[in-house]
Amino acid sequence: MLKGKQSWLFPNHPVILSTGVSGGPFEANGYLAHDFDILHDDLWMGKDSYEQAHRLLLEEAAQTALQKSEVKPEDIQFFIAGDLINQITPTSFAARDLKIPYFGLFGACSTSMEGLALASFLINYQGATKILTGASSHNAAVEKQFRYPTEYGGQKPPTAQWTVTGAGVALVAANNNQPNLPYTTSATIGKVMDMGISDPFNMGGAMAPAAADTISAHFNDLGRDASYYDLIITGDLGKIGRETAIALLTNNGWDINPDKFKDCGLLLYKENQPVQSGGSGAGCSATVLYGHLLNEMKKGKYKKILLVATGALLSPLTVQQKETIPCIAHAVSIEINGG
Amino acid sequence: MANKKNKQKTPQQQQYEQLEKKFETKRPVLKNCIKAFFVGGLICTIGQVISYFYIYFFHFTEQTSGNPTSATVIFFSMLLTGFGIYDRLGQFAGAGSAVPVSGFGNSIISAAIEHRTEGFVLGVGGNIFKLAGSVILFGVFSAFVVALVKTIIMELGGL
Amino acid sequence: MKSKQKIVYFLFILSFLLAGCEKDYSSVSRWALLKTVDPKPIAIGDKENGADQQAVEEIKKETSETDGIYDVAVVKGAKDIIVAYKVEHMHRFKMKSIEKELKDKLKKNFPDEQFTVSSDFKIFLETVRLYDRIEHNQYSEKEANKRVKQIIALKKELT
Repeated sequence: MLKGKQSWLFPNHPVILSTGVSGGPFEANGYLAHDFDILHDDLWMGKDSYEQAHRLLLEEAAQTALQKSEVKPEDIQFFIAGDLINQITPTSFAARDLKIPYFGLFGACSTSMEGLALASFLINYQGATKILTGASSHNAAVEKQFRYPTEYGGQKPPTAQWTVTGAGVALVAANNNQPNLPYTTSATIGKVMDMGISDPFNMGGAMAPAAADTISAHFNDLGRDASYYDLIITGDLGKIGRETAIALLTNNGWDINPDKFKDCGLLLYKENQPVQSGGSGAGCSATVLYGHLLNEMKKGKYKKILLVATGALLSPLTVQQKETIPCIAHAVSIEINGG
Repeated sequence: MANKKNKQKTPQQQQYEQLEKKFETKRPVLKNCIKAFFVGGLICTIGQVISYFYIYFFHFTEQTSGNPTSATVIFFSMLLTGFGIYDRLGQFAGAGSAVPVSGFGNSIISAAIEHRTEGFVLGVGGNIFKLAGSVILFGVFSAFVVALVKTIIMELGGL
Repeated sequence: MKSKQKIVYFLFILSFLLAGCEKDYSSVSRWALLKTVDPKPIAIGDKENGADQQAVEEIKKETSETDGIYDVAVVKGAKDIIVAYKVEHMHRFKMKSIEKELKDKLKKNFPDEQFTVSSDFKIFLETVRLYDRIEHNQYSEKEANKRVKQIIALKKELT
């Protein structure tokens, strides 16, 4: 049901039956390693190219999600996913092997929530009974495409972020009153915001306005405020983007508690890992949400969370052509056990 | 070409830019300069040692030892790039490791390593000068311009 | 990472061990590049205190007096005289003018002789090595003259 200007309510509470989360070597050394189902110790993962390894991450995450619920691919109606690579080929190639009718998405690093919002809507209105949705990224493949070769000795400024090597996939299904499973309750689709930032090494600063705009729209459309949620968590704003977003929201009149406003990119890595401002990438929000956060919800730590995945819609060409960086953010609220 | 109109930021964008700048971690310019200075100097000192090595043990004069010295330094930077050490050095030293010829070698070798998966002719061959191409192009072009200027000045009676 | 590091260290140490491969008859040329060695001027095939020997002593004295030069080696062969010298570090900017000044001075004082003048470290080193071997009677007169010709050819190399 449409609520307000750009939000959906899901009164039938589509449930997240199971998830699969895979990661790479950096994530294996980070804080949330135990929340990953599969971890690899090198970026090649036994494949001949980084792009093939990227595909393997997504395939493994999808297989894990299916195995945990003992569901076969034939029982899934749709596969809704995307990534950052040109023409989203890793996801398309993984979809080829899964043989599930496929929607390819591109929302940059906000793809995970774009997928979850669409999947929830379809399930809620009986457009499907089971949908597989997710997002993935691979550090080396993304660096090769967007920036410089992996071994190049260029110096990254302290505002830069580290692309996560990982994939997060969720199996969303119609709610059958299964106990202790998280379910989605609402979603807000963001519009593209561009505040004139053009530095590709400072994406947090570029994405903060989009996050603030979507969160404000969410609160306005649904008549809620920050106190409704136990945790508001952004996808990959990083250190700088998070502080800027809190400032923007506070300036707009929302009362934000910094302890309950976190960022996935800041949770993944330890201080001694050289990630500058934090993690980023389509896999960032997917792996943290579908792994760590849902585990915490099942343990009872959070009952209502709002996940706002942020994406920077740039390409290497637009950067060279001196364009600014437009960004987008999508929000999905997830609750458990009556909220 | 980027639209000139876009370069004028709206007042809202300018306001945001000011807000965002407060939270932006500033690059530690002085620290970076000092690190670059010492690392770059160290690389050049090693290069001078290698040069003396060639002069002392081999048949090279100061004039002719430039070629084997560059080749040796690029060889070492190839080893370091292949072992995954050069990018960490680059993150630490910035221009100190990028400006000497070892940085030039690193840019070529890292591009070659990266694009091996696309085959040797189009992948490696086509992309190997991805980063070094502008160095070569503008180096040759500026040498040409300087030579032209020098010739004109010499023709007009010298400096 | 550990095995990679080991290989890098091994290669480093190997390069130092290779530096130990050297055949040298005396210690003078060993220090030629590192400090002032001030070798005696040599006239090949001439008796002690002959006319040629006096000439080369004079040449050495004059060269040493030139501003900016601090270490001189002179060897006179059958037809040519090699004058190899080192320039003080700060005077290196005036290398070309020092060379020209020296050449003019020598031409003026010794119009009949063919001079080969060089500030190159390699030429200096080879000249000192030649001096070493002549001092230790390692070379016959013919061999020594051949060496002189080789050193002059080396000086003329450009790449």
